[in-house]
Amino acid sequence: MIALSVAAALAIFVVYTALAGNGVADLSPSTVSGHAGYVSLVGKVVGRPQGNAYHGGLRFNLKDIGRATPARVAVVYHGSVPDQFKTGADLVVQGKLRNGVFVATRDSMITKCPDHYTPAKSSNT
Amino acid sequence: MAPLGRAALLLAFGLVLYALVAGSYAAWKRRRRLAVSAQNALLAAFPVTLIAAIVLVIALGRRDMTFVYVWQHTSHRLPLGYALSAFWGGQEGSLLLWLLVLTGYAALAVWLNRRSRELVAWTVPVFGLVAVFFAFMLCFVSSPFSVQPAPGDGRGMDPSLQNPYMLAHPPLLYLGYVGLTVPFAFAMGALLSGRTDERWIVATRRWTLAAWTFLGVGQLIGAHWAYVEIGWGGYYAWDPVENAALMPWLAATAFLHSVMIQEKRGMLKVWNMVLVALAFNLSLFGTFLTRSGVLSSIHSFSKSSIGGWFLAFLGLMIALSIALIRWRLPLLRTKTKLESLVSREASFLYNNLLLVALCLTILWGVLYPVLSDAVRGESRSVSKPYYDFFLHTFGLPLLLLMGLGPLVAWRRASLRSLGKTFVIPFAVAVAVGLALLALGFGSSWPGLLTYTFSAFVAASIVLEFVRGRAAAGGLFRLISRNRRRYGGYIVHAAVVLLAIGIAGSSAYQTQRERILRPGQSLQAAGYTLTYSGLHAVKGSNYTGFRALLSVSGHGEQFRLSPGANDYFIEGGHNEAAIYHDPRSIGDVFTTAALAGKHTSNIDLKVFVKPLVNLIWVAGFVFVAGALIAMWPDAVEQRRLAARYAAGAAPAGI
Repeated sequence: MIALSVAAALAIFVVYTALAGNGVADLSPSTVSGHAGYVSLVGKVVGRPQGNAYHGGLRFNLKDIGRATPARVAVVYHGSVPDQFKTGADLVVQGKLRNGVFVATRDSMITKCPDHYTPAKSSNT
Repeated sequence: MAPLGRAALLLAFGLVLYALVAGSYAAWKRRRRLAVSAQNALLAAFPVTLIAAIVLVIALGRRDMTFVYVWQHTSHRLPLGYALSAFWGGQEGSLLLWLLVLTGYAALAVWLNRRSRELVAWTVPVFGLVAVFFAFMLCFVSSPFSVQPAPGDGRGMDPSLQNPYMLAHPPLLYLGYVGLTVPFAFAMGALLSGRTDERWIVATRRWTLAAWTFLGVGQLIGAHWAYVEIGWGGYYAWDPVENAALMPWLAATAFLHSVMIQEKRGMLKVWNMVLVALAFNLSLFGTFLTRSGVLSSIHSFSKSSIGGWFLAFLGLMIALSIALIRWRLPLLRTKTKLESLVSREASFLYNNLLLVALCLTILWGVLYPVLSDAVRGESRSVSKPYYDFFLHTFGLPLLLLMGLGPLVAWRRASLRSLGKTFVIPFAVAVAVGLALLALGFGSSWPGLLTYTFSAFVAASIVLEFVRGRAAAGGLFRLISRNRRRYGGYIVHAAVVLLAIGIAGSSAYQTQRERILRPGQSLQAAGYTLTYSGLHAVKGSNYTGFRALLSVSGHGEQFRLSPGANDYFIEGGHNEAAIYHDPRSIGDVFTTAALAGKHTSNIDLKVFVKPLVNLIWVAGFVFVAGALIAMWPDAVEQRRLAARYAAGAAPAGI
């Protein structure tokens, strides 16, 4: 019975991870090209962000963090902007690449600053 | 000042190194005087570390910017309280706090048990080993006492850390993390000395309970901080840093339950060793996660100066735990067998299975990016749906078991007596479940199940108290007669409140968002929020705005003013506004952001979260229950003393 329960717990785990637990790929500007699916993109904000996240979309460029020859990718984002968002901030957005522009999911932005880790700021509990 | 701090740390390093080396040699060769000397070195390490800590506190208080650490984490404008809280705001200070708490705990635990020499002999070097690592890091890798020629003002503190909760949350977590070292050191000491009876458990039971309580309260305070300060309408995001504290707590919860079986029935000795090692190593792993920088950028594993060291030490401790348990396996084998699958012991086993399963699935989720990167060359991460799934599959049965377990008899329970015991709680649960279904709570199955199971557990706890009170002739006498048991039930009641609060505020929350012009309004769950305009605010180190909202609904009228502050040095920060509705024990939670540079239009977000305040109430009930279970018990002490006087007489050192 105990062994059976352990087996049941393991089986639930294996089935779940096989069906749904594959996770989302964590990519950087240099590795994101060619991925059509829903991914998570990590990068550093370069240049001046344009537009409005609440109206028409916030546009900015992300480059690789800590690479000698960083690649760049353009991002368009809607929704709430974390406090630490600015040029030079390290952040993560989730979304899909469409015609060379990374279209981020609403409210998916999480900033990561080098000194302190800042918890996720997302729209749900 | 800085040289004094450095000297104190070097001396502390020397003392704990001596406790490790001389202590091991003394315990191995049974040299009693050397063992006492090693023990004294461990005791002395605490005041010496305290001197280093005081130096850092003074430097922070004076904003002495020649200290690199002070310069990195404070500024002259930062209020004194927050400047002092920078002690644990950065890596070096956190490591110092670890060492300070560790040497303090070790000194107290060893001193309290100084009469049981054979128990302490091997415990001293285990404490020494852990302390040597932290002292080494502080002396040679990541010193809080690095200095620089006097620069200008400091870099300041992250605004989200400028919050009263940050004065209490990290130290409490550390008291918990580090506290798990005490049962670990005694357990490993017991393995090394070959005295694997339950004496180490008795000596450390309250330590484990205290560490577990600190860890639990620390997490709840952290959750409350995230809720009021970060402003995303939630309190737990399955963030790796949060999981880092949850995992050792779950392992320690399993341990607290399974040691009862070893005490009562002499079973599960191996399993208890595994759990105590798991809890300790997870607390090390938690510190590693929060402090190594693995998280601030998943793509640079060795970016931080301490990541590699930490990983090496963690590997060493895991290897050591496994090796010791394997070596002493013959001593840990027990003759007692599980008599029935319907018994208290069995229910504890299921509880352990579920807690450990939940803990390990969370660990898998946390490690997933690193593992998938290693295996497939592409880092992938799992998020909320993954964790929620396993919280439901393992957490809900766990909740149900909390009502079942305490009512089942030890050894073997007859189905007939079970039926009798459970008829009332079962009836209450069915009635509550059907009533909620009729009221439309079927919109979320996990939510409905949580409420129903909670009703079942609550009814069974109340029933236990009612029955016990009748037998003992008074509630106070009942509790004082068996503090562990009834303290435990009160903690269970806290978990029920927590479960109801979480289900209410997540499964049944309402969320709305809209861009509003002054004069426009937004509806959410029966509340109407009308935006009237902006208002500027000013503080000693920031300027900001507030959006003025008047809210009506459910027979109430109130005002809320969410907004944002722009700190001169540290940058922008959202300020959520929350209304606590006393009737629904829930909140109306609002955040506002400017919808453009030169406009008074705002992007308003509102969350209506029923029952969310039960989560914080649960914290108080949890502490009350834990204190009752921890309180010194003269009857228990006498019983144990008699047991050991009759049993094995101490021999040798």
